[in-house]
Amino acid sequence: MKNYITIGVLAISLLNVTNSNAQTLPTGQSIADKTYTKDDGISVKRKLVMELKDKRGKTRVRETISLRKYFDEEKRLAIFYLTPSSVKGTAFLTFDYPEASKDDDQWLYLPALRKTRRISAANRGDYFLGTDLTYEDIKLETRISREDYNYKTIGKETIDGNECFIIEGTPKTKAIAKELGYGKVKLWVDSKLWMLRKADSWDVAGNYLKTVVISDIREVQGIWTYHTIEVKNHKTSHETKFIASDIDYETVLGDHYFTKEALINGI
Amino acid sequence: MKNQQNRETTFFNKVTSNYKVILVLSALLLISVAVFIPKMTKDTRMDAFLPKDDAVLVFRNQVKETFGLKDPMVIAIVNENKDGIFNKKTLQLVYELGEKIKNIPGIDPDQITSLATENNIVGTDEGILVDLFYEIDELTDEKAKEVKLAINNFELYQGSLVSKDGTTTLIVAEMLDSYDRKQHEVYNNLVELLEEYKSYDEDLYLAGEGAISGYLVKYIDEDAMKTNPFAALIISIILIIGYRTVRGVVLPNLMVLASVGIALGAMAAFGVDFFVITNGLPVVLIAIAVADGIHVLGEYYETVAKYPKFSQKELVVHTMVKMWRPITITSLTTVSGFIAIAASSYMPPMTYFGIFGALGVTVALVYALFMLPSALMLLKPQKSKAFKSNQEIDWFGKRMEILGKVVIKHPKTIVILAIIIVGLGINGASKLIINENRIKSFQSEEPIVAADNIINSKTDGTAYLDIFIETPKNEDIFKIENLQKMEAMQTYIETLPHVKGSTSIVDFLKKMNQSLNENKEEAYKLPETKDLAAQYLLLYSASGDPTDFDNYVDYDYRLANIRFRMETAEYLKEKYVIDKTNEYIAKHFTGASIKATPSGKVTVDTYWINRLGYNHFLGAGIALFVVFIVAALSFRSLVAGALTIIPVLISVLFIYTVMGLMGIWLAVGTSMFAAIAIGVGVDFAVHTVDRLKYLLKEKGLPIQEAYQEFYKSAGRALLFNFLALALGFGVLMTSSVPPLNQFGFLVAIAVMVSFIGSLTLLPAIIYLTNPKFLRVKK
Repeated sequence: MKNYITIGVLAISLLNVTNSNAQTLPTGQSIADKTYTKDDGISVKRKLVMELKDKRGKTRVRETISLRKYFDEEKRLAIFYLTPSSVKGTAFLTFDYPEASKDDDQWLYLPALRKTRRISAANRGDYFLGTDLTYEDIKLETRISREDYNYKTIGKETIDGNECFIIEGTPKTKAIAKELGYGKVKLWVDSKLWMLRKADSWDVAGNYLKTVVISDIREVQGIWTYHTIEVKNHKTSHETKFIASDIDYETVLGDHYFTKEALINGI
Repeated sequence: MKNQQNRETTFFNKVTSNYKVILVLSALLLISVAVFIPKMTKDTRMDAFLPKDDAVLVFRNQVKETFGLKDPMVIAIVNENKDGIFNKKTLQLVYELGEKIKNIPGIDPDQITSLATENNIVGTDEGILVDLFYEIDELTDEKAKEVKLAINNFELYQGSLVSKDGTTTLIVAEMLDSYDRKQHEVYNNLVELLEEYKSYDEDLYLAGEGAISGYLVKYIDEDAMKTNPFAALIISIILIIGYRTVRGVVLPNLMVLASVGIALGAMAAFGVDFFVITNGLPVVLIAIAVADGIHVLGEYYETVAKYPKFSQKELVVHTMVKMWRPITITSLTTVSGFIAIAASSYMPPMTYFGIFGALGVTVALVYALFMLPSALMLLKPQKSKAFKSNQEIDWFGKRMEILGKVVIKHPKTIVILAIIIVGLGINGASKLIINENRIKSFQSEEPIVAADNIINSKTDGTAYLDIFIETPKNEDIFKIENLQKMEAMQTYIETLPHVKGSTSIVDFLKKMNQSLNENKEEAYKLPETKDLAAQYLLLYSASGDPTDFDNYVDYDYRLANIRFRMETAEYLKEKYVIDKTNEYIAKHFTGASIKATPSGKVTVDTYWINRLGYNHFLGAGIALFVVFIVAALSFRSLVAGALTIIPVLISVLFIYTVMGLMGIWLAVGTSMFAAIAIGVGVDFAVHTVDRLKYLLKEKGLPIQEAYQEFYKSAGRALLFNFLALALGFGVLMTSSVPPLNQFGFLVAIAVMVSFIGSLTLLPAIIYLTNPKFLRVKK
């Protein structure tokens, strides 16, 4: 009898703990929604260096100029390769449509072929241009998806002195999980800036897959901006580092930069 | 002489006085070394045939490391129905098996290649699409037909992933390096997994380098469980017939136990792996170690019959004084044979076979000199029914006596016969074929042999020749002249016999070029500029994985690998390809702008098997020379040394004739026969010369009388020694490992020839020439 009472008391106190947590921590979904409210500027031009490293430690460095502009909810991204010389002039353009049902459009201009090639509808979980981030990751940048996951807020932690909420997400359906390539994600979202600072992910089979660390977040022209993204793929030991510099939000980029013609003409 | 005899008597008096101490020490030594045996690890990989620091092996491992290539397990899925494997059910099976294999410990889950994991590259109206051949959720029979079409349009995967007739597809699973010594565990798990699909329409086969290594572990284990007890049984039966006493059977068996236990225990203690050929070592030691016991006990029973009044101590000391010398000499010669193998062989399995074989023989001698007399001291004098009295001889003795009479009657005929055998043997040696094929380590009815046959006949094969391409600077692989050189080499090597296909980055670039040119057949060619090649790969990366080409090109685009697939792992066929490849490289890859170096299993195997013939003749030569020196020193006469090696020389030449006639290859297993046959077979000649010297020179008997005496006593002991050796090695013929089987057969025949030679030719020559070292000093 005594034991039952003890268990009962314990159970009640446990319930209390979860209740009090739920009261103090925002829900995962509300955090996800918040990340969309952050100002990212209408357009941005930046120098983006991609450092790719294979498991033997060999690296490929690709310097690019990257342009991004919002057309309402639609996001357009153009990347112009500067180095290595063999791919200089290669340019990539993507239209990310806000509707999940509509496949994104992508083109790549190959100067050696003097032709623009369409890249057929990539899966959201496909790797982006040989990096360890997927197309979906690139699309979201420091946001976290509003539609794909069921979230649970599990606590708070500080990263580099910044308070973050930790939320865990599981894809809403198996199909989504497969499409994204993630079976589970754990996300650290800055509680003041509403930017993603760190993400751990697991593959569909439950293997530890990747760690993404977004750092060097500073204000540029009044907009909080990341300067480094580091990704490590734990399965392949492949790593990617994105380094952003010369960031400019103020020069408004004309729509004509985001056309197939502009790919050919270069930046 | 008298003095020496006294010293010997004093020595064995001491041994027999301290017999309890010696017995305890003998037991302790055996136990303390043999406890290591359970720690023994098995290494059945072909790579084990080269020392770890060998340049060719080191280079191959670098290539493997750079491109992530390992010894794979290869699973073939065969469906002989109309549409072959291109139906929903079979493709579903491919996917399912691939997923299940990922969970097997030791399999690298990221290194599984199958139709379900590989990407198809197709051109679309305005671009290129890189996508899996099929997604499991979208799989229908209709989709399966599309996959068939896709494969028909993708030359690269025809033969390598799917057989050209469409009935077979492969799942290639690579193992983690940490499972190098545990391939059998992976193999067993895979076999179990495939068992679950037994009721399916599709036939499943498991082969490939990893599977062969894994299966060998189990195979040699089972074989050892069979051959070792059988050898001990055979030896015991011979001992029972020879002595008809309990001690006559138990004591030699104890020596065998010590010899095998200490040799294997020491191997384990020194961390030496158990290789495939090591499996033959226990049986060989059983046959050899028993010989010392046979001679000592034979002499003991003869002494008992001759001096019935002697105390046990007197009997034992008398026996040991007479026998220590011949058994020491014969053990030394046998050790020489093993040392010759160790000294001549570059391959660790053989070197260790020699070293630990020599140790085992030495242990047998030490136990014969100390443990055997000590053990006899525990017992009372005992007569053997086989040795009735001085004058009476048994059936075996009588046969030997008759043989002696024949020799004295026809010495010249015997010499002429021997000369004919020598002539035939030299002819046979010149025709020896050096060859090796690892699948021949198994009986032809083993499932792995069937699997290997199916896979090698249906697809491009599982013997890989990798060619490592090196250029000076990053991205130099993309230079068109370099890509063209690689392409030309692929085209050339694929024309060589038994090379069925190849894969390199060139093939992928050609496919991309075709895809970007409306899938036109004539566009299946290299891109026209270096930049275009680089941009194709960037384009590919827009939908492929970052690690997709890891097996073919390094991350800096400075190194590349071309993998050729051969349908056979037979040495002579591989060697032809390697020779031609080296010629081609010497002619076409001369500049500094691109370098090509052959590697991979085919190269490594060819390299070490190439040394086999040289090692064989060197080993035989060393063994002959050392045996000659030991005999010459022991008998203090060069002529005696020369006479002693005549029978073994003939036995080895005779074997070459047998090998030639029966088409037996000089291969890994068989190459060791000569040195062993010399070291073991010479014992008969040593005993013959030793006894004839004693009878003729020391006892001063007339030659007829001496021969009669020799045949009925020493001749009888030698007959049992021969039977033990021949049948002991003969037990290896029951082995299911063909190389050991052939090795046992050859040594048994060689021992027989040595025995016959030592008891016919050798006495005949001595009879005809009456050499000086056997004459009584005037």
